[in-house]
Amino acid sequence: MTVADVLLLGLGAVAVGAGLCVVTTAHLVRAGLYLVVCLGALAGMFLVLTAELVAWVQVLIYVGAVVVLLLFAVMLTRAPIGASGDLDRPGWPGLLVGAGAGLGLAALFVDAYRWTSVSLPDGPDGPGSAGVLGGELFRSWVLPFEVLSVLLLAALVGAIIVSRPDVGASDRGAER
Amino acid sequence: MTTDFQLPAIDYQAISPLLILFGVACLGVLVEAFVPRPARRRVQLGMALVGVLAALGAVVLLAGTNVVTAGGSVTVDGPALFMQGALLAFGVVALLLIGERRVEPGGAFVAQPAITVGSEADQRQASAPGATEVFPLAMFSLGGMALFIAASDLLTMFIALELLSLPLYLMCALARRHRLISQEAAVKYFLLGAYASGFFLFGVVLAYGYAGSVDLAAIHAAVDTSQMNPALLYAALALIVMGLLFKTAAAPFHVWAPDVYQGAPTPITAFMAACTKVAAFGALLRVTYVAFERLAWDWLPVIGVIAVLTMLVGAVLAVTQTDLKRLLAYSSIANAGFVLVGVLAVGRTGASSAMFYLVAYGFAVLGAFAVISLVRDREGETTHLSRWAGLGRRSPLVAGVFTVVMLALAGIPLTGGFTAKFAVFSAALEVGEGWLVIAGVVSSVIIAFPYLRVVVMMWLSEPSESTATMVAPGLLTGTALGIGALAVVGLGVVPGPVLDLAHDAALFLR
Amino acid sequence: MLSQAPTLADFGHDTWWVIIIKVLAAFVFGVVMTLLGVWFERRMIGWMQVRPGPNRAGPFGLLQTLADGLKMAFKEDLRPRGSDRLVFLIAPCISAVCALTALAVIPFGPIVSIFGERTPLQVTDVPVAVLVLLAVSALSVYGVVLGGWASGSPYPLLGGLRASAQMISYEVTMGLAVVTVFMLAGSMSTSEIVAAQASNPELSIGGATLAVPGWYVLLLLPTFVIFAISAVGETNRLPFDLPEAESELVAGFMTEYSSLKFALFMLSEYIHMVVASAVITTLFLAGWRAPWPVSVWDGANQGWWPLLWFMGKVVLVMFVFVWLRATLPRLRYDQFMRLGWKVLIPLALGWVLVLGGTRVAQVSDLSRSEQLWLGGAVAAVLLLAVLFWPARRQPSRPSPAEQVAARPPGSFPLPPLDLQVPPSPQARRAVAAKRTAASGRSEAEPAVKRPLEGRAGTDPEGGEQDG
Repeated sequence: MTVADVLLLGLGAVAVGAGLCVVTTAHLVRAGLYLVVCLGALAGMFLVLTAELVAWVQVLIYVGAVVVLLLFAVMLTRAPIGASGDLDRPGWPGLLVGAGAGLGLAALFVDAYRWTSVSLPDGPDGPGSAGVLGGELFRSWVLPFEVLSVLLLAALVGAIIVSRPDVGASDRGAER
Repeated sequence: MTTDFQLPAIDYQAISPLLILFGVACLGVLVEAFVPRPARRRVQLGMALVGVLAALGAVVLLAGTNVVTAGGSVTVDGPALFMQGALLAFGVVALLLIGERRVEPGGAFVAQPAITVGSEADQRQASAPGATEVFPLAMFSLGGMALFIAASDLLTMFIALELLSLPLYLMCALARRHRLISQEAAVKYFLLGAYASGFFLFGVVLAYGYAGSVDLAAIHAAVDTSQMNPALLYAALALIVMGLLFKTAAAPFHVWAPDVYQGAPTPITAFMAACTKVAAFGALLRVTYVAFERLAWDWLPVIGVIAVLTMLVGAVLAVTQTDLKRLLAYSSIANAGFVLVGVLAVGRTGASSAMFYLVAYGFAVLGAFAVISLVRDREGETTHLSRWAGLGRRSPLVAGVFTVVMLALAGIPLTGGFTAKFAVFSAALEVGEGWLVIAGVVSSVIIAFPYLRVVVMMWLSEPSESTATMVAPGLLTGTALGIGALAVVGLGVVPGPVLDLAHDAALFLR
Repeated sequence: MLSQAPTLADFGHDTWWVIIIKVLAAFVFGVVMTLLGVWFERRMIGWMQVRPGPNRAGPFGLLQTLADGLKMAFKEDLRPRGSDRLVFLIAPCISAVCALTALAVIPFGPIVSIFGERTPLQVTDVPVAVLVLLAVSALSVYGVVLGGWASGSPYPLLGGLRASAQMISYEVTMGLAVVTVFMLAGSMSTSEIVAAQASNPELSIGGATLAVPGWYVLLLLPTFVIFAISAVGETNRLPFDLPEAESELVAGFMTEYSSLKFALFMLSEYIHMVVASAVITTLFLAGWRAPWPVSVWDGANQGWWPLLWFMGKVVLVMFVFVWLRATLPRLRYDQFMRLGWKVLIPLALGWVLVLGGTRVAQVSDLSRSEQLWLGGAVAAVLLLAVLFWPARRQPSRPSPAEQVAARPPGSFPLPPLDLQVPPSPQARRAVAAKRTAASGRSEAEPAVKRPLEGRAGTDPEGGEQDG
């Protein structure tokens, strides 16, 4: 076992454990914090796999922005400290389905890959480097990439129309 | 600095329908920002219609193209163009319904869905003009659907899936009347849709693990050559197909459909029923025929069972419904089963029959929802069956159109529904899938009952106190109704041209 | 002689003790700069406000911050009862750790020799070092947000909410602004960005070539302005210190903190300022490279000298931070958000577009005059658009009298607008007492109600009808 193997195993365990905590904890804000740990561990795995750009973008976007917005929403609404009693606790069906799917997929992966090893890319121009990623993004993935920006625009428009409170109020005020 | 960057070769003409749709959608966002409020609806509606018609024209001009372009992420071939054409035709009709403001003052959409239902501010906006953002949202969704059909790798397909779904979730929440069930529908659709997207994405990951690529053609090649464990491939196939079957509303992934169809504003329900179905089946056809064709003997029985289940569940539950929108939702589930029968007849005939079925079903269901949007009382649309009793005596013309549409859905000869069912079943018989045909015929008989019951109620009951009134259709709804009825009858009387077109187009490019 | 400027290949080869020395040095730099920074800020503000500032502890009051720190350590450590114990403790630690981590990728100088080991004067560098800076500053939001939430009381919660919205908004701006730096430098590594500013691009104007200094503050002036504004927003300093606005929120997210935890928050705030100054220095002021008159001397960019230039620039930027604080009042929250989303982000986006367009025009095979024509055409269109943009008609502001008349019936009564002095309260009370006596109420009741009514209504008639 190399250092990379140990790191990957450790980070993977952290990610899975934190993920379990996210769905089992009754503390709303702590669930968000476990999510941070989970995503952070994922970023760590990217780092181990020498995909530096992806790792730091993961930290920047998911840990630094998405979960913060999530916490923001929680705090805007109730900001509970301590356990929330009215949450859906994971019942037997949930446990059964979740564990079944998780273990099934894990077994599938273990069986599919066994002891297959992939050598980590070496040097500054590995597949995870900014230059290679940028080239791929603008060469073979250019259309999906642009469509993704259209998707985000649609999401933005949608977020505004479902949440705006007083459309036309200022216009009416001006008319008056 | 790297200056040796090579730009990818993009056949801009081949993807021009997509570019037109996305461009008009983005322009629509700008219109929201800069055009004064009173003129907005007209500008938006006009622009959206012109955009869709232009895209339709581009599709027609492209007929016969067979090309993979944009860095290998889009395939423009016969099925893609045929279904894009169908999609855009449905899109025009759906946009007409969305743009209607005569029937319901202010349109079927509300301007501020976030206001507490029943509050003072809510009552104030009851008669105010509705949100015009639905036009760009519908265009985004249409663009996503057009890309979904033509995507030639799973990642592009996933992005297109999100792009088509997200605006749909949003538009479901914008109903002017019955706002609580509209919002409930949106949340249900969103949560279950996100779940299905998760399935799809996980399937993509497993397919990548097996083939080392997300390209459909590469997966097809890897089925024979890859050294990986085939369990990965089967799991990938199962998860991807699950994600797609969710969008087609096939049992057991249909549970969202009745609630969402009932809660969404009727024009959006029409849009969903016609366009989403085309897009989802387009992608399903492409995935199963292009990437996993060599596994056909493995997935045929499983999807066959799903098809039978879908048809029976849809048909049997449709019989018990008393709400017309729910009835049509279950009918759409049953119809998804019929299309699946066509999909299962793997080959050119199967694909062409499924595509023809989608066209026939789409026009019929658009017509049906157009009529539903007209039958109202003071509270808005009245979709309970008992309120429709005797409608035929009061407004025979629109009731007549509805009767034709219902007969088409029931599959009575001389309507598009009959031709479509005939095409699908004969395609299945051709490849020896008799059991599917038997199940199909049985469920057609079952589901004919609720349709005919509506027709009988409309014409043979006496109008009473509780009979709803039929609002005179405005120009837009009238046009939509006309197109729907004409297409339904036309596809039944002279199906030849469209059948030939579907047959010519039904070859996938790998 | 080897090139003194380190490249990415120079990193990652240090022996373990060099690494430890460099890490410790960066840490000590952060802490010492905080101690000095607080003193510097207080002295500077004192100077600007024509008062001495701290001048008792040590020479020039230099030890004042140290004394304050010691005092804080001996204070009682309070924790509110409704707070979340664990998160309450972790939050300040997150703040301090994130602030310090950013120092790891700041280049302090060129390759130097430490006890015979040749090593770059920078803890480490990665190909995406600026992203690391952004990511770490994104993480530092957690300290503020969680600190505010875990305190379990309203003011800190409001402060935390404001902080999260503010930092996310300004991160977007910051990220968009540095894109232009990446475009020009062709790299995201801090040491290479510094190296890229060493070259002096030549500009040919009418045949004569002119060497322009390569500092990005000149080449990318709009970026610099946008980045500097958002850096102030990101560090929560005046005029953007809304999360702790003391006149509105007491001290925002820090309200419930005391003792060493509070000290950690203070520490991280000042380290943030130091880091922001260092980042601005690195990205726009050519980092450790000697400024113009000094750079004539060949030895200026070699050995340990660059550390001096670096420190000088950092202190200069910090002075601007202090200057801003002494000059500008705090923005209102909505103004602040509007500035971020409606001004800075569009500006940053537009600037990226302009720079990208210029770049494309340069690479394309257009001739010089064609390029000029193209640029002129774009500029003309923009100018016309700005000039002929339909101006929004400002609705005429109604006069106060009209405003009063437009109020719906039953509104809160207003004092007279002509500034007439109302009758004295005693006189009114006498009148009111007569009336209540006349309407047969007990004496005790009006005694309690009187002050309220006196405030609510200048119109005793209305009050009487309600009763």
